[in-house]
Amino acid sequence: MYAITGKGVTTTTMHEQERRESQYTLTLGHLYPDQLNLYGDRGNIIVFRERCHWRGIQLRVVGLGIGDPLIPDEYDLLFIGGGQDRDQAPVADDLREIKAVGLWAAIEDGVPVLAVCGGYQLLAHYYRPAVGPDMPGLGVFDAWTVHPGPKTPRCIGNIAIRWGETTLVGFENHGGRTYLGTARPLGYVLKGHGNNSEDHTEGAVYRNAFGTYMHGSLLPKNPHFADHLLLLALRHKYGEDVTLPPLDDALEWQAHYAMLQRLGVGKVAQPVGSKVQ
Amino acid sequence: MYESLAGSILLGYMSNRVLKGRLLRALAIGAGRVSGQIIRRLGVGGGTTLPGLIAEKIDRTIVADLAAQVHGGAVIVTGTNGKTTTSGLIASALYAGGLEVWRNREGSNLMRGLATTLLNRARWTGDIVSSARTVCVFEVDEAAFAPAAREIQPRVIAITNLFRDQLDRYGEVDTVAEIWRTTLATLPTTTTLVLNADDPTVAWLGRGFAGRVLYYGLDDHGLALPSEEHQDRQGQVIDARACPDCGTDYVYSIRFYSHIGHYICPRCLWQRPEPSVHITNVQQEDFDHSTFCLTGPAESTRLTLALPGLYNVYNAAAAATVATALGISLAAARTGIESFTPVFGRGECIAAGDRTVRILLAKNPTGFNEVFRALKRHRADISHLMLVLNDNTADGHDVSWIWDAEFEQLAGLPEFLVISGIRAADLAVRLKYAGVIPSSGQSHELMAALPPRQNTLTWTVEPDISHALDIALEHTPPGGALYIVPTYTGMLAVRGELERRGYVRHYWEGSDHHNHA
Repeated sequence: MYAITGKGVTTTTMHEQERRESQYTLTLGHLYPDQLNLYGDRGNIIVFRERCHWRGIQLRVVGLGIGDPLIPDEYDLLFIGGGQDRDQAPVADDLREIKAVGLWAAIEDGVPVLAVCGGYQLLAHYYRPAVGPDMPGLGVFDAWTVHPGPKTPRCIGNIAIRWGETTLVGFENHGGRTYLGTARPLGYVLKGHGNNSEDHTEGAVYRNAFGTYMHGSLLPKNPHFADHLLLLALRHKYGEDVTLPPLDDALEWQAHYAMLQRLGVGKVAQPVGSKVQ
Repeated sequence: MYESLAGSILLGYMSNRVLKGRLLRALAIGAGRVSGQIIRRLGVGGGTTLPGLIAEKIDRTIVADLAAQVHGGAVIVTGTNGKTTTSGLIASALYAGGLEVWRNREGSNLMRGLATTLLNRARWTGDIVSSARTVCVFEVDEAAFAPAAREIQPRVIAITNLFRDQLDRYGEVDTVAEIWRTTLATLPTTTTLVLNADDPTVAWLGRGFAGRVLYYGLDDHGLALPSEEHQDRQGQVIDARACPDCGTDYVYSIRFYSHIGHYICPRCLWQRPEPSVHITNVQQEDFDHSTFCLTGPAESTRLTLALPGLYNVYNAAAAATVATALGISLAAARTGIESFTPVFGRGECIAAGDRTVRILLAKNPTGFNEVFRALKRHRADISHLMLVLNDNTADGHDVSWIWDAEFEQLAGLPEFLVISGIRAADLAVRLKYAGVIPSSGQSHELMAALPPRQNTLTWTVEPDISHALDIALEHTPPGGALYIVPTYTGMLAVRGELERRGYVRHYWEGSDHHNHA
C-alpha cells in the first residue's frame, strides 16, 4: 500500500486563487496501480486529484496492490484500470480471494467505482479467452466477455457514446467482446465499437459502479462524468444536499467537442452546470 | 494500391516459373528503381519506400538475396527509443574504423525501406558490388524486426530499450518482447547480440541466446534518480516491473530513469548482466554535450558526445559496443562518435533566419520525460516552446499516453507556449492538469503588439502546424531559440514547414554513408 504523494495529501500544483476552504475530504482507492495502468489510467486519477484540489476538497489517493485488503469503510471512491494480459491473472486471483468481500460491500453501500477496460472485464462474470479456461470475475455486472480469437480484429479507435442527455468520448482498444445480461449499459454507441460492436451498448452500470471500455484517458475530456463520480462520492459520505461548485472547463469541452466533430457526431446537449465554450 | 496492382499485372503476364531467379530479381529491381526515379522527378517525395515495396511484390526474396551479397554483412538496430540516433552513431563509428556503411533512410525502417536501400545499390542484373569492408546498418521498426532479422541474417543485432509505445499498433510491451525472443531463437550462433544491460526486458533476451552477447551499461552512481523519486514512484508508470520467469517484482539498487537501472529478481536471483562496455564518469557539460568514459575488456577511452540527455549516452555506448563487435577499437569508434551531430529532429539545431529552432522528437512517455529532464537539468532556455501532438498511424492513434508522461516537469518554465497538432486540444487539457497552463481564466489572446512579460505565460492552442510555427517564430525574439517537442509526424510536418521556408534541406538529399552532413 502506498500513498501517491509523500504525505498522503495531494498538494502538488498550487493554484492559490483556486483554493477554497472546504470541510470535505475524500479517500480514493486505486486498485492495482502497478499492474493495471496501461492506457493512461493515471490520467483519471490526476483528474480526480486536480478537480478536488481546485475546489479545496482534500483527496487522499491510496494504492491497493496485490495482497492489500480492501476495507470498504475507508474508501469514498474506487478506481480500477486495465493492464497487460500477463498481469491480469494474478490480479483476478487477488480480486477474488482478497478484495471480493470488501469491494462487494462498498458497491452495495453505494460507493462509486470506475472500472476501465481490463478492470471492467474483471467486474463482470467471466472472461473467456480464445484458448484456455475462463477467468472468473466478480460478477458485479451481470455481463460476460468472450474473446473471439486472434483472427477477429480488436476493437480499436476513437469512440463517442450517448450518456443520458450528454455524450462521452474516448478511445477503446479491446479484443474481448462483452455481452450484457440484466446489467444496464453505461450508454449507447454513437461512433465506435463499444461492448461488442453488435448491440450499440457500451459499458455497464450497477448501483454506483461504472464499467467502461473508454480510456484516452476517459475523465479529462469528460469533466461532467468526473464530477458525477465526485458528487456521488461526496453525497455518499456527506449526504444528499452536497453540491459541487462549477469549474471553468472550457479546455476540456474544447477537446470533447473536437472529438465529436471529428467523429461526425453532433452535440447532444450541454450538461447543466458546466461552462461550455 | 497502385504499386501492388502494378506488381500483380506484371506477374500475371509472365509465368512465375520462367521468371524465377535472376530474371525475376532483375525485374523487381528495375520496376522498383524506375518508380523511385519517377517519384523524385515528380518531386512528390524521396522515393525511400515505394521502390522497395514494388520490388518486394515482384520478388519476395529480394531482401534476403541482396543482403546476402553484401560482403561485410549487416547490423540491425531496433528498440523503442534511440533507433535512428544509434544507427547514425554506429555508422559514424564504423566509418571512422575504416568501413564503408550503407544505411536505410530515416523513417524507412519497415521491410520496404530496407528493400529500397538495397535495390538502389544493386545492378540491374541483381548483383550487388560490395567490398569486404562494406557493412549495412539498418534501423528496423520494432514490428518489422522478425521479418528483417529472418531475411537479412545480420551479423550484429543491437537492441536499445523497450518502453510502452503506440499500444494500438505494436501491442503490449510483453507481446513485443515475446516476438523478439522467438525471432532471436531462430538465428544462427554466428549472430552477435548487443543489448542494454540496464533495461531488464532487453537484457533478458540475452539469456539462453546461443551466440555471442555483448552488454553495455551505466556504472555511475551519481546519476541515480534522487532516492525520494526512486522510492515514491508518484504513480509513475514503469513498463518492466517483474521478472518474466517467476513474476516477482525486480528490486533496484539504482534507477537511472523509468525502468533503466541496476536490478535483481529477489526470487530467482537473475540480475543485471555484467556489461562488456561500461559507461562511467558521466559529466553532462551543457544541454548539448556530455563527456564520459567507455571501458571495454581491452581498453578505455574518454569521449565527448555532442548530443543532449543521458539517453544519448546510452545510444553512444550501444554504438561503441557494436563497433567492438565488428573488430573496431574503442579509440577508432570514439573518433566517429565524437564527430556525430544530431540527426533529423533528434536535438537537431536549425537556423531560421536570426532565430534558432531546436527540434526534439518525443513519441512516448519515456521519450517526453527524458527530453524534459535533459532540458531542465541544463536549464536550457525553453521560454519559447512549441509542443505538437499528432495521432496519425506513425504516432499511434491512441493519445492516452500523454497522461503517463510527466508534463508536470514543465510547470513554470515556458513564457510563450504554442500547443499544436491534430490533438492539440487533448494536449492543452493535459497541460492544464499538469499545472503548466492556468486552471482558470481565459486563453490569452495573442496580441502581436504585446510582447510576453517576464514570468507570465502566454499560451495558445493552434492545431494547424504551419500557423502555429508562424506564431511561435514570430514571438521568439531575434537571437533567441524556439524549442519544439513534437511527435513523429508532427516532427515531419514541422520540418516540412521549415523546409518550405528554405531553412532545411529535403531529408533524402542527405548523405547516407555517415553523418557528417
